[in-house]
Amino acid sequence: MIFLEFRALSTLPERVEEPPQEEPKEVPQRRGPKSTNPILEHRHIYPEFLPDPNPKWRNSLREKMERADMLKRRQQIDIPEFYVGSILAVTIADPHAQGKTNKFVGICIERKGCGLRAEFTLRNVVDHQGLEVRYDLYDPTIDKIQVLRLEKRLDDKLFYLRDALPEYSTFPLDMDPEILPEGTPVPVNPLKVKLKPKPWLERWERQELKGIANIEQYLTTTNRLNRKLRQTPWEKFDLMKQYRKTIPMEEQSDIWSEVNNQLQQLQMARKKMARKRTFTAPKTQLG
Amino acid sequence: MFKSLITKLCPSQLTCGFHTTACLNEVRLLTRLRVVDNSEIGMRAMAEGKPPKIICVYNKKRVGFIGDRVMVAIKGQKKKGILVGLKQIQNVKVPKFDSNNIVLIDDNGTPLGTRIHVPIPTILRTILKERTHAKGADYTKLLAIATRFV
Amino acid sequence: MNQADVSKLVSKLRIKVKAEHRNLRNPKGPEGRIDKLRKTVTGLIKFERIEVNYNRGDEARQYAERLISEAIRHGDCHTPTMKMADFWLLEKELVHKLFKVLVPRFENSNVSFTKMYKAPKPQYSRNLEKAVLELRGNPYPDLFTKQPNNRLWIQNVLLEAAKHDYRQSKYAEIAQNMAKNEEPTQVNSEAPKSEIIEDIKTQ
Repeated sequence: MIFLEFRALSTLPERVEEPPQEEPKEVPQRRGPKSTNPILEHRHIYPEFLPDPNPKWRNSLREKMERADMLKRRQQIDIPEFYVGSILAVTIADPHAQGKTNKFVGICIERKGCGLRAEFTLRNVVDHQGLEVRYDLYDPTIDKIQVLRLEKRLDDKLFYLRDALPEYSTFPLDMDPEILPEGTPVPVNPLKVKLKPKPWLERWERQELKGIANIEQYLTTTNRLNRKLRQTPWEKFDLMKQYRKTIPMEEQSDIWSEVNNQLQQLQMARKKMARKRTFTAPKTQLG
Repeated sequence: MFKSLITKLCPSQLTCGFHTTACLNEVRLLTRLRVVDNSEIGMRAMAEGKPPKIICVYNKKRVGFIGDRVMVAIKGQKKKGILVGLKQIQNVKVPKFDSNNIVLIDDNGTPLGTRIHVPIPTILRTILKERTHAKGADYTKLLAIATRFV
Repeated sequence: MNQADVSKLVSKLRIKVKAEHRNLRNPKGPEGRIDKLRKTVTGLIKFERIEVNYNRGDEARQYAERLISEAIRHGDCHTPTMKMADFWLLEKELVHKLFKVLVPRFENSNVSFTKMYKAPKPQYSRNLEKAVLELRGNPYPDLFTKQPNNRLWIQNVLLEAAKHDYRQSKYAEIAQNMAKNEEPTQVNSEAPKSEIIEDIKTQ
């Protein structure tokens, strides 16, 4: 019986061409983009609070406990807001070092991992030798994370600095922190780096990077052809691929409303500290 | 995807349509290294553009890790050296270098040069101290000629 | 362990999404997969109920849901959403349908925008699972009718006609028996029945 119905209904689509005739009411009100919840903006500053988008690795209880642990750690030390492209100074307690502490300055080229496994990588060139150090964000041996220059770059990952000229990743180890006035948006540094000639570590030409200035001069016709063949212009329309990479809004708002209170307290405390520091700074100069 | 690529590529340009994983940058037999001390032989080898090649890694895995002793062929001679910086992905808080660095030593662990002109990972201090025994070679002399630790 | 992508905000789908996509094997690779899905999504938005292979239908369902939810979230003044709709809907008048018909229809719904049923397999063919994919609120009759005795079911129509015929013939008999007097009580019992059957056949 059902079979009959299916056949009958599925084979006459032409007749159904005029379904739009149901409620031809004019759109009642022009809805712009829906007003988004302001607590969702935390996702840029604290991306590691969001769980892994892969459902294979999801475990709501573990995620909740990890968030609690992360907040506890954040109450112990001040983990500031930073992005890929910011310049950080990290001081760790190092049992191997002579003074038992070790400080490294560098540009953040990558942030990855979620929960307590969040990591970031710093890169610097010291004595003409390129160095990269990976740190766990919630490592208990970290004494202090200081943002020397808060900015973003044009790309999400800055691995191309490995193949760029060394001056683009050279930062003095005794750099002074630059203070952004309160309330200004995080600046995006439109710096375009120059690459060294080939050989390179990766095929940068295929990655659609915005932060490279002189890539075209090193490419051969074969490179250009391969780049063209490997382009995937349909990928930016792949709605489900995007969906599988993100955490949906409803889940995010649950998470952020859970941690919002404590995060805001931490922010207030940091602001207070910053104000104190600005008051005390001139005194030390005088003395 | 690769089928479609191969159909797109004309056969004359068909070089390698297959995906390969990122290389591990392991230090193993015949890897070229960079000498970072100021020993005579090392400086000359690097200046001539003939960097040393590994001919033996002294551990069970035969893959060099940080602080491992290696034997290298440098300018027609066999010399021993200690790996002081690796390109390979390192553990957390251990620096990863842009080149595979080596400091030449002799059989007793005494460095041939008098100065290392690149930074040295601090973890080497512990590793080399562990490897030094009272009657064997003393590798900690290497730490004394380092200029900077990271 | 990956960090979630934070550059985009998406609303949660009300359907079950598999952890991995299906490849929908075809000679053109991922591009061909998307092309196939575009056709199915366009068909779904156009006809509101289609019969497809299960795997393709399930994939297309996810894309259609995402498209509608994006349209609801951003409205038609949002350029990226417009581009997305332009990409996914091969017939451009359907873009208007998406924003003018489907968005108001689903704006306040708390359930998924589409429905999928398993359909019977064709008997002599490849062993492919079939499915019926439809938009909610479509103008067609329900696939699972709640009333067990629908008057319009073909069996009921036929039975009705048969009953009618039988009754008519009985009446005729009675009339013949009863009336040796010469007035035929009823005529043309055949005509309506044949008409009904003709109708059914055309359907």
